[in-house]
Amino acid sequence: MYTDPIFISVVTVTTLTAIVAVIVALKSKAREADAITEMQTAKLESEEAHGSLDSAKIHGCIDRTRRRQVESVFDVLRDAVIVVDAHGEVLHANKGASGLLLVDPSEAAGKPLADVVMDHQLTATIADARSGLPKEGRQYEQEIENDEETVAYEVHLQSVGHPDEAMHAVVTVLRDLSREREIARLKSDFVSKASHELRTPLSSIAAYIEMLEDGDAKDETTRQDFYGVISTETKRLQRMIDNLLNISQIEAGLMHIDRVSVSFDELVGRAVTNMNPQAKEKNLEIHTQLADVDLSVVGDGDMLYQVIVNLLSNAIKYTPQGGRITVAADTDNLTRSLHFSVSDTGLGIAPDQTAKVFNKFFRIENYRHVAKGTVLGLNLCQHIIETLHSGQIGLESTLGMGSKFWFSIPAERGQQKAA
Amino acid sequence: MTTTHSILIVDDEAHILQVLSLKLRNCGYTIYTAVDGEDALHQAKQSPPDLVITDVQMPYMNGLKFAHELSANSTTSHIPVVVLTARGHTLEISDTRIPNVKKVLSKPFSPRGIAELCVQLLAEVQGRPSEIRDAA
Repeated sequence: MYTDPIFISVVTVTTLTAIVAVIVALKSKAREADAITEMQTAKLESEEAHGSLDSAKIHGCIDRTRRRQVESVFDVLRDAVIVVDAHGEVLHANKGASGLLLVDPSEAAGKPLADVVMDHQLTATIADARSGLPKEGRQYEQEIENDEETVAYEVHLQSVGHPDEAMHAVVTVLRDLSREREIARLKSDFVSKASHELRTPLSSIAAYIEMLEDGDAKDETTRQDFYGVISTETKRLQRMIDNLLNISQIEAGLMHIDRVSVSFDELVGRAVTNMNPQAKEKNLEIHTQLADVDLSVVGDGDMLYQVIVNLLSNAIKYTPQGGRITVAADTDNLTRSLHFSVSDTGLGIAPDQTAKVFNKFFRIENYRHVAKGTVLGLNLCQHIIETLHSGQIGLESTLGMGSKFWFSIPAERGQQKAA
Repeated sequence: MTTTHSILIVDDEAHILQVLSLKLRNCGYTIYTAVDGEDALHQAKQSPPDLVITDVQMPYMNGLKFAHELSANSTTSHIPVVVLTARGHTLEISDTRIPNVKKVLSKPFSPRGIAELCVQLLAEVQGRPSEIRDAA
């Protein structure tokens, strides 16, 4: 009895090993099964003739079960797998291949490849892989149009047939590259935005240094102004880099935080004291409204302080002269959480922009001339509150009326403050 | 320099405006500034400068749109424009293919180089060969 070798094309690096192992097993089992079946057939005829229950039937069941198991493995894969036999007929197409097929994967077996695969180039490539002696595994990228869109695939073709056999089957595995392409695009977008934001202070630093070198600062006052700009922009650059690294570490799950009991009375008091000079410069009043309850949480005091200062700093930047800023903290016994907010009578944010303010590098273009920043501060705040402290951060804002930035984090306890 | 040329510098970064203004003033030019494209366009129509240096990413009207508007207006279409941007690597060539845009420079930039470029471009406007070929 002739045994078809099995020809497989495999795509994914992650699944390559598993698939090859399965294919090899399938091939081996197929040969074994064929031999067994041959013997079983003879035995079956003999046993059936004797009307007795036969072991061949059991072996046949085992063989079919094994095949179903292998096919089940293929169906679990997200990659598309198309197995073609030596005669160019589809042996198996898994569920992942459904978007590439003219028929349902369950109906593909036994049909000629050209009647099953939608894309002509892919059909030709597989047919080519079947011709001649088995070739070394081949890998390439191809864009394939299906009913709805064009999808980029990494295609793996690998022969597992016997090197001396001119007739061999083929297995084709195709990995959808859409997600990788999207991640690459997001990375590129991130690098582009980061580069733009880092270049801005760097431009000032480089330009002012050159001006000093060229003697364009004619007097001591101008020189001091230049030194001041270089110093300020260097610090801004440093903050951006720090924020970028912190966000990156938090996203990678590498940020270590010290969880201790933190008092918001102390954090808020310290932040307001430190930010008051900036507020005074703009004739802004900072009011504190701390509830008369225990405002303690378990968390990282330095990071929570950084969030409070960041929100307070934004309120000062975007509130015109003479405005009012209110810092409030309270607990919610029902949700056992602490609520903190910074409200201002500032410029406010348009409804279509509010959802974006926590995005990395998001800047409200019309406010660029109002204040400079790292354009990473609110994203870092979101990470500190939501990722590291299991809390929630948000804002309510009315354009031209002001904004209220708030966050809530699980409270250590919500008790009345001891008298 | 026998005639005082005027240059309009457009950037929403105060430090960039300050440093370029001082450099070019020291070179003898009359300097006007604007912090966004809208304001710059208004100024350019009111009193056309001899040269424009503009950032790209600005509020209300970005630098490329501003350059397009200048190019489309008969009273300002002759004004050469230098685009100064931190987004140089992400700009497509087609983005800056605007008739009056003579040069696109990336930030960080050299004020010295900008001053040399101004000499070159203003000489070309006057129809005489420029002395500096490798500005900025």
